[in-house]
This record gives sequence, C-alpha cells and structure tokens, in this order.
Amino acid sequence: MNDVSREDSPPPSPARGFWAEAWRRYRRRPLAMAAVAFVVFLLVVAVFAPAIAGTKPVLCRYKGRIYAPCLGYFDRRLEPAVFAKDRFRGTYPKNLKEKDPDSWAIWPLFFQDPYRTVRADEWPGRPENPARDEGRPSRLNPFGTDQSGVDVLAKMVHGTTVALLVGFVSMGIAGTIGIVIGALGGYFGGWVDMVTSRLTEIVMCIPGLVLILAIIAILEKPTIWHTMAIIGATGWPGIARLTRGEFLRLRSSEFVMAARAAGASPLRIMLRHILPNALAPVLVPITFGIASAILVESSLSFLGFGPPPPTASWGSVLNDARSNHAMWWLVFFPGMAIFLTVLAYNLIGEGLQEATDPRLREARK
Amino acid sequence: MATYLLRRAIFGVGTLLVITCFVYGLARNMPGTPLTAQLGEDPSRKLNPEDQERMRRIYGLDKPWYTGYAQWLGNVVRGDLGRSIARKQPVTTLIRERVGPTLLISGTAFLLIWLLAIPLGLYASARSGTADERASSLLLYALYSFPTFVAALFLQVIFSVWLRGTAWELPLFGMTDLPPDAPALARFADIARHMILPVTCQTYVSLAYDSRFIKANMEEVLRQDYIRTARAKGAGPWRVLFRHAFRNTLIPLVTLLGLSLPGLIGGSIIIEQIFTWPGMGRLFFESIRERDYPTIMGLTLMFSVLTLLGQLLADLLYCVVDPRVSVE
Repeated sequence: MNDVSREDSPPPSPARGFWAEAWRRYRRRPLAMAAVAFVVFLLVVAVFAPAIAGTKPVLCRYKGRIYAPCLGYFDRRLEPAVFAKDRFRGTYPKNLKEKDPDSWAIWPLFFQDPYRTVRADEWPGRPENPARDEGRPSRLNPFGTDQSGVDVLAKMVHGTTVALLVGFVSMGIAGTIGIVIGALGGYFGGWVDMVTSRLTEIVMCIPGLVLILAIIAILEKPTIWHTMAIIGATGWPGIARLTRGEFLRLRSSEFVMAARAAGASPLRIMLRHILPNALAPVLVPITFGIASAILVESSLSFLGFGPPPPTASWGSVLNDARSNHAMWWLVFFPGMAIFLTVLAYNLIGEGLQEATDPRLREARK
Repeated sequence: MATYLLRRAIFGVGTLLVITCFVYGLARNMPGTPLTAQLGEDPSRKLNPEDQERMRRIYGLDKPWYTGYAQWLGNVVRGDLGRSIARKQPVTTLIRERVGPTLLISGTAFLLIWLLAIPLGLYASARSGTADERASSLLLYALYSFPTFVAALFLQVIFSVWLRGTAWELPLFGMTDLPPDAPALARFADIARHMILPVTCQTYVSLAYDSRFIKANMEEVLRQDYIRTARAKGAGPWRVLFRHAFRNTLIPLVTLLGLSLPGLIGGSIIIEQIFTWPGMGRLFFESIRERDYPTIMGLTLMFSVLTLLGQLLADLLYCVVDPRVSVE
C-alpha cells in the first residue's frame, strides 16, 4: 500500500498508484474481466429494459406531438396522460393507427409485455400467447410463457433491474453500517470496541432468513425496497469484523501516528488516512455480499415472500415453476440468469482479492 | 480456563437475552395471531367474539408483548419451552420429532462433504496449475455459485418429470410413501430414495466451498519456509503434503467445522421447503406462517444456542489443534 504519500499533496510520481496497479493485475484475469462485462451487460439491459421488451412504443408521434410511453415501465406516472384520456388501455399498436392515422412509432425490439399476456392480433397478424403447459419456448416467446401466458423473456428483462438494485442497494447499506461499526470499534478500542463487537456477534447469531421472513411479515405492504433494506441491515457483521481488524492493524502504524502528531482529528484520521488503506480488503466481502444478496432476494421471491406483483423478479418466475414441474423453461432460464449473475459477482470478488491482496501477489512472482 | 468459560457463558446469556427479546417482539408484532392464522378466511369457522376473547386470554395474547416475553423467559428458565398453539403439543416434543429427519439429511450431507472435500482439496493443491486441476476447480467454482433452490428445481424436473416411469425416477417430495407399519427394510429403502435429491442439494454447495477453502489454505502453507526445508531434506511429495502441510491447515478447518454446527441441527429452510421434508427448517417456516409464537421462540433459542456453542467449540478446538494459541 504505497499510496499513502498521495493523501495530502499528490506529487507527480512515476510510480503507479495502488489502484492502478490493482487494475493492471485484475485485467490479466480473463474470467474476472468476462464477469465485469456480464455485469455491464446486465446494467445495459436494466436501463434499456422498456426498449428491449415491451408493448409500449419507445417513441411515438401522436396528434402532432412526440411521446415516450415506454417510460411508463419505470414508473406509471411517466406514461403520458393523453393515452389514458384517449382510452388506449395499454394496447398501443391498433389504437395509434385508429385514433391518429398520421402517427408513427418506434417499437421495442421485442413485442411482449412483462406484466400481462399478449392477446391475439394485438400486433397485426400475431397469435395470442400460449398459456400453461402449451407455453414452451417458440419463435415468438424464446423463453416460453408462464401459467397465465405472460412472456418469460420480457419478465426477465424487466426483472434485471431488481437483480441489480438488490445487490447494490443492500450491500451499500450493509457496507456503510459495517464500515462505520467496524471503524469505530477498531479505532477507538476499549468500551466502544466492546459494545460494537457484542452487537456484531448478536446480529451474527440471529438466523438471517428467519429475521428477514419475520420483518417482511410485519410490513403491511412489503416492496422490493423493504427487502433490500432488510438484507442490508442483516448483512453487515462480516464486513464490520474485517474493517475492525484492518483499523486495529493500521491505527498504530507510523503514518497514522504522524497524522495524529500533525493534529488531525479522529474523524479525519479515520476517513482520510486509514479508510483508503483499509478499503481494498473490505471491498472483497462486499462483492461476495452482492452475490449472496441476490441469492437471498431470489430465494425469498421463490418462497413467495418477494415483492408483490407487478414487480418482476427472477425468483418469482421460479416460484411459478414450483406448481408445475412440467414447465421446465420456467426453471431453466431464470435459474441460469440467477446462477450467471451470482457467478459473475463471485468471480469479480475473487479477482479483486487476488489483485489487491499483497500476500497472494508475492506468491505469483 | 474456568474464568474464560465463565466469561463466555455470561456473554452468551446476554446475547441470548437480546436475541430472544428482539425476535419475540418481532413475532408478536406480525399482523394476525395464531388464532386468526389458523382459522383463515373461512367465515363459517370464525369464532364468536366471546370465544375469541377467551382463547386470547388462555394463550396470554391479551397482554402486551413484553409481559408475554417475561412470562416466556420465566418458563424457559424453569426448563419449559411452552406448548405450540397451532399444533397443541409441547414445543420440545415437536423439536424432538423434527430433529431426526433433519439430521438424516444434514448428517448424511455433512459426512459426504468432509469425506469428499478433504481429498478434493488436497488433490487440487497437489496438482495445482495442471489442466485437470484447473478444470475441476472451475467446475467446483461454478457449483459454488449455483443456487440450491435452482439446483433443487432442476433435479426435480429431471428425475421426477423427465425420467418418470424409468428406473431412474426419484420421488418429487416427502420423506416416505409407505405407511408406518411397512417392513423396516422397505421403509429404509424408500426413505433412502427420498433422501437422494435433498442430500445432493445440501452437499454440493458446501463441498465446493470447503474444498476451495482447503486448497486456498494449503497454498498458503505450501509457500512457507518449513515446506521448502522438508522438500530439501528429501521428504516425498505425499509426506510433505500430509505430514507437513495439511496438519497446519487444520486450524481454519476447525473453525469452519464449528460454524457448521447450527446448520447441522437447524436444517435448511429452503431445501426442506422445496422437498416438503418434515424437518426443523420446515417447522420454522411453518411456525412463522402460523404465527405460532412458542414454536418460533423455541427454535430461535435452540438455533442461537447452537450458534454460540459452535463458536465456542471452534475457539476451544483451536487451542487443541494449535498449542501456541491459548484461550486467554
């Protein structure tokens, strides 16, 4: 960790910084890079979900004005009011032509809706979505359809947002709590350490899934945000322990003593001097935590404790498969999506570990 | 030693108090009571208000939760975990009934994991860097990331739906299809057949994790100077691996062993739920659904005690394996 000198006055030194060096090492691992590419791919899918799969035009011109009805998939309020007023009732292709012959529209790549089945002739010449056992993968429904005829690919494209958000939001919360508690305990020691360590131990002892199930049961209307908050609020002990260890190790180091001698306040020492040096080892469990948060969320949805419909989640597609095992496509596609995402985060975590852990680095030489 | 154990015990009791109080408060604040959860929405089965009030008084539901918790705690100190409201049985009886099936799955899985993980981990560290080691490590890594419930569904689709009618067909769920008075041998075979899928699911993730863990620890040890010394004095590769290296990786392994204790008896909620296996995990899930406070509390207490004991066991074993470490 040779970037300590950069802290206050960055000298124009030819030596690469710690993170640049870590990135150079990380890049050498093809699997870890593939994992990053996969997460970026998921991000793109999540951001452009309404343009990839949907039944609302990405852009359309209607009665002389340009609208973007597809934004309604992000939030209902973003759907232009004019279409509700003109009684479109969610079916755009026919209504656009009937009510304004001069209209034009750019459609999503894939005309299927994540929340409802597509009816016959909704898109000129297209048959109705098959339902139940009939819904095996076909040209119009590459991943098949579920019990009520809703397209699985569309559901999964729109469920990507949940999968990504769960990982980032819940680990953002867990990381913040864990780092704060671990930093306080490790830096101050004494009774502060005593209190924070006991707290960490207690949270570790509570069976996680049970706690989550109980809290979700208490909430009147659990949303995906509640689930994320709860996963975050229970997932921090490991991070706190690691942060505590790092702070304990670094607080007696020379650069911290120098900072203290220079009159820096404890907060400044913790944030500007110790934290940047403790961050690398702490990032690793956070990355693994993202993987496990995605696992927890999808298993909750799978058990039927997920976000209420219409929020699409990969786990809830799997839950549909439990009632009918013959519909293998309800297992295969979301199952593989969860697996690949978890695998990607685990690979990133391992790549980070190998790239930033000096002990592992020496071994490679 | 005695003072150490005493200190751990005091902290342990404190931890247990906080956890049980917290979970009791949570459970009592879930919407609905055992009475409403049991009777459901069916209006013909609704109790009239007086009966309902009487039942609430009998179960102590009319008092605030902290009073209820104090009462529960008082009973626990006297060794009484209370009676399940939904199942009309003492909680200890319920736990005794369910612990067998859970141990059947988790115990078998536990044996399989350790019997396979140690040779696999040693093999991987001995052949480190070769093509076959990389392939097997990659496979194990992928397995480790494979969610159990997805694997369970896959296995159910393959063995219970696609292979239906063949010799390979395996039962979808449950523990046995035979009546309790069937011959013991047939019953044993039937239960074994029902066990295959759940045990597979419970084994593979830990197997992948543990063998990777062993390999990582071995790699760290194999870099030490004393290993070079052992090689230099002419010890054979297997002797170096077992006598010099593996013995020194026992410390982290022992910790892992201690931490797996609660799972061994607590079972897995998800696996038992998917395969409708009548074990502890399923009991936990059902008791939350039924708002069965005494059962929730009994299981929480048991699980927390096991977790604390597991940690203590790990710390004590630590000193046994590594004489340099002392409990103080």
